Amino acid sequence: MSSKILKFTLNGEPVEIAVSPEDMLVDVLRDKLELTGTKKGCGKGECGACTIIMDGEAVNSCLVPAMKAMSASVETIEGIGGPGKFHPVQETFMDLGAIQCGFCTPGMIMSSKALLDKTTSPTSQEIKKALAGNICRCTGYVKIEEAVMAAAEKMREKQ
Amino acid sequence: MKEYNVVGHSVRRLDAVEKATGTAGFTSDMKLPGMLYAKVLRSPYAHARILSIDTSEAEKLPGVKAVATHKNTPRELFNTSATMTFTVPPMVPVLDQYIFDNVVRYVGDEVAAVAAVTEKIAEAALKLIKVEYELLPAVFDPLEAMTPEAPVIHESHKKNIPGGEVIQIPYGDAEKGFAESDLIIEKTFKVPVQKQAQMETQAAVAQVGLDGKITVWSTTQTPHPTKMILAKIFSVPESKIRVLNPPYIGGGFGVRIGLSAKAEPIAVALSMLAKKPVKIVYTRKEDFIASDTRHAGYVTVKLGAKKDGAFHAMYLKAILNGGAYCSFSCETPGVLGCMGMAVYRIPNQFYYGHSVYTNTTPSGAMRGFGNPQAMYPIESVVDMMAEQLGMDPLELRLKNIMQVGDPWPLPYKCSSTGLAECIAKGARSIGWEKRGKLNKPGAKKLRGIGMGVGTHCSNAWPWCGDYDNAYITVQQDGSIHLATGVPDMGTGTSTSLPQIAAEVMGVGLDKVSITFADSASTPFTIGSHASRTLYAAGTAVVEAARDARKQVLEYAGEFLKVAPERLELKDSVIYVTGQAVGNDCSGSGVCQTGESERKSISLKELAYNAHLRNKQFIGVGRIVPDNAPPWHAHFAEVEVDTELGQIRVIKVAAVHDVGKAVNPMIVEGQIEGGVLMGIGYALSEEIKYDEKGKQLHDSFHKYMLATADDTPEIDVMIVESNDPTGPFGAKGVGETGLVPTAAAIANAVYDATGIRFTEIPLTEERVFRALAENRK
Repeated sequence: MSSKILKFTLNGEPVEIAVSPEDMLVDVLRDKLELTGTKKGCGKGECGACTIIMDGEAVNSCLVPAMKAMSASVETIEGIGGPGKFHPVQETFMDLGAIQCGFCTPGMIMSSKALLDKTTSPTSQEIKKALAGNICRCTGYVKIEEAVMAAAEKMREKQ
Repeated sequence: MKEYNVVGHSVRRLDAVEKATGTAGFTSDMKLPGMLYAKVLRSPYAHARILSIDTSEAEKLPGVKAVATHKNTPRELFNTSATMTFTVPPMVPVLDQYIFDNVVRYVGDEVAAVAAVTEKIAEAALKLIKVEYELLPAVFDPLEAMTPEAPVIHESHKKNIPGGEVIQIPYGDAEKGFAESDLIIEKTFKVPVQKQAQMETQAAVAQVGLDGKITVWSTTQTPHPTKMILAKIFSVPESKIRVLNPPYIGGGFGVRIGLSAKAEPIAVALSMLAKKPVKIVYTRKEDFIASDTRHAGYVTVKLGAKKDGAFHAMYLKAILNGGAYCSFSCETPGVLGCMGMAVYRIPNQFYYGHSVYTNTTPSGAMRGFGNPQAMYPIESVVDMMAEQLGMDPLELRLKNIMQVGDPWPLPYKCSSTGLAECIAKGARSIGWEKRGKLNKPGAKKLRGIGMGVGTHCSNAWPWCGDYDNAYITVQQDGSIHLATGVPDMGTGTSTSLPQIAAEVMGVGLDKVSITFADSASTPFTIGSHASRTLYAAGTAVVEAARDARKQVLEYAGEFLKVAPERLELKDSVIYVTGQAVGNDCSGSGVCQTGESERKSISLKELAYNAHLRNKQFIGVGRIVPDNAPPWHAHFAEVEVDTELGQIRVIKVAAVHDVGKAVNPMIVEGQIEGGVLMGIGYALSEEIKYDEKGKQLHDSFHKYMLATADDTPEIDVMIVESNDPTGPFGAKGVGETGLVPTAAAIANAVYDATGIRFTEIPLTEERVFRALAENRK
């Protein structure tokens, strides 16, 4: 297993790391770079817990061979905001009860952010479609949809 | 209704920031120095004897540090569920499995496990283990498993009934009741295997120290009972084992009440062999096929009523598929019967129920714990009765529902009910008056409205033992530390319990911190399940806080030279009742002889003053909970596409009497999630088996979970009946969201189509066939 050097931009910072050609991006992020905010719920692209944003698109990082991230710009939950400078969608998830066990939350937030990066006036249907690949077993999605809608409103106000 | 400062407010969850930023700790994220990774070899056969097992090649693979089989692990029988630790005598828990055995009893059963320096090496090593099997006859249906010619799955459990445990609950005289009834309806229903499908799979990290101490980080819902189970398996004193969550769990829904499938004992066994920390994380497929499911089975309801609609007799029977090993298979039929018998005032009832071993994945606890299996059939038959009587099914229910103080078969009282209010509110939300008038003649898509009601418990007693403990320590700066052993699997425990502590103590929520889900730093509790956490652990927190508060006020009384009864503690300040904070008493007329002039002190100053005089305020809560019934009415509107057989849920109105919502936002979230899980139970979720016992639904993709795109409008409403036994009047809510959901949907489908389905889920295939049959 010859390792290769993967160079990409991770949360705005340049990263260089040796990976095996068969490594998936989710494992590189979680195990090698110790960014465990990205979760692994199935490893087969069926649950969305590992959703990250790569070059502006929400993707299941468990389906992305690590080398595919070469030269890409990757955003993970760790890079989008935190205390003092939360992303609006993080704020509304927290305030509107869209978080329960928290395991789907990072992926849900990344899918939501990818949508809101494209439009800050999503319809209810667009939100449902954007989140249809992210499974949440706790919330029934009700408060998650409300949170995305409210985040969109916050973003519109800021514009 | 009384207004509180912290209780009753929808405050942001205390774990929200960690979870929204990806920094919250989960077992599957853990890494320890020198940690090894484990993989499990599972049986490809439903029933077989292991004639030989050769691990020599696997052991030689570079990077492999230990291989565990039935030959080098403890031969100590156990039960993976916490029932092993709190079954109340004279009943005894069924202990029927080892970590590894020389017989495998379902596809997925554990054969061996490997610990290696990477997951990939461990995986590769599994392929080098040579196993010779002798196939044995297998059985998959509980009714077939009860026949004389069925294979025996456990030698010591004849007739394939776990522990021989048949539950019979007589109440009144059912035979006489039916003889006196004017109308009798009897129907048998088939209910499916549902999977918890929690987002984080079963996982554990075990570290065995050279001092003999064992630490296990895992996804368990019950750290203390899990510690007891591990102590028994490995013959280690309970005081030397620490089990904790790290501190969060990616959902539970009952799947890890006790062990997380076998993650904990496998990790410990391998750690003992390898003398290194070992981590195991089940794959999603392993989670589907080798960790407990909901009990499938057959449920019969026979209901007798008088002409005026008064229910007079009910016979309820349940034969449940327990799967290959006994988890909660003795308790689940008990709860099914008790909950089914508790909703309506029926003077004459009889319940008969038990589980049956088969060669399928073990069945155990899942949200609702038998109750949804009871209420889909019962509420279907109640609707049939209404039709026969020519009554509105809503009115028929209102006439028969349990009232406070009514006699019932349970050993605790019906202490509160807001069910009539729930029914009224739900009917308004769904537009009940539209029922029967929704469809134009010849329409291809038919709409229908249906309802279902139910109750549940607020803790595990009387089906298991149930008690709880909590500590509250006032820190030297007056802030509050709460220690409770219950996990937070997403249900909001780590927010709601601090809310209760803050309210009783008289401090702001920002002053309270909680340690939870750790057997070493918290006192014993039976854990988070049975809709008990807020009710039972919350009662312990109330007691602990009252105890600490009493100590604070006594000390403050000495300090201020005022009788403690005259003191109030609010917003972290102790002051004389009725007197403004900061004022002294001179000239105000409230001074009493010998009192100091100072009439208030902050908790911060008092706690430090006590500290300098060698004292800490430590409140202890030790409680044995009563029990209380939450109530709920669900109304569903559905649309049935008669050409495709597809059912779409348009709306669910879910109205729940929760006693008191300590955090309404969290309570709504519990109900919304439960409703969607109930919609899945009604329409799509099922694990089926092929003729060889292989699970046909072993991934998210194959197992049809509802997504955001499938979610209908869910209108949750809360009714607060203020139960006299619960903390601040609260009752259980964690499980109730899916208890009457399938019933409401099935009744709505009948309203739309005129077809009474006696089997769920109502998949397109099943509905399409029934519609075709109906047209003939």
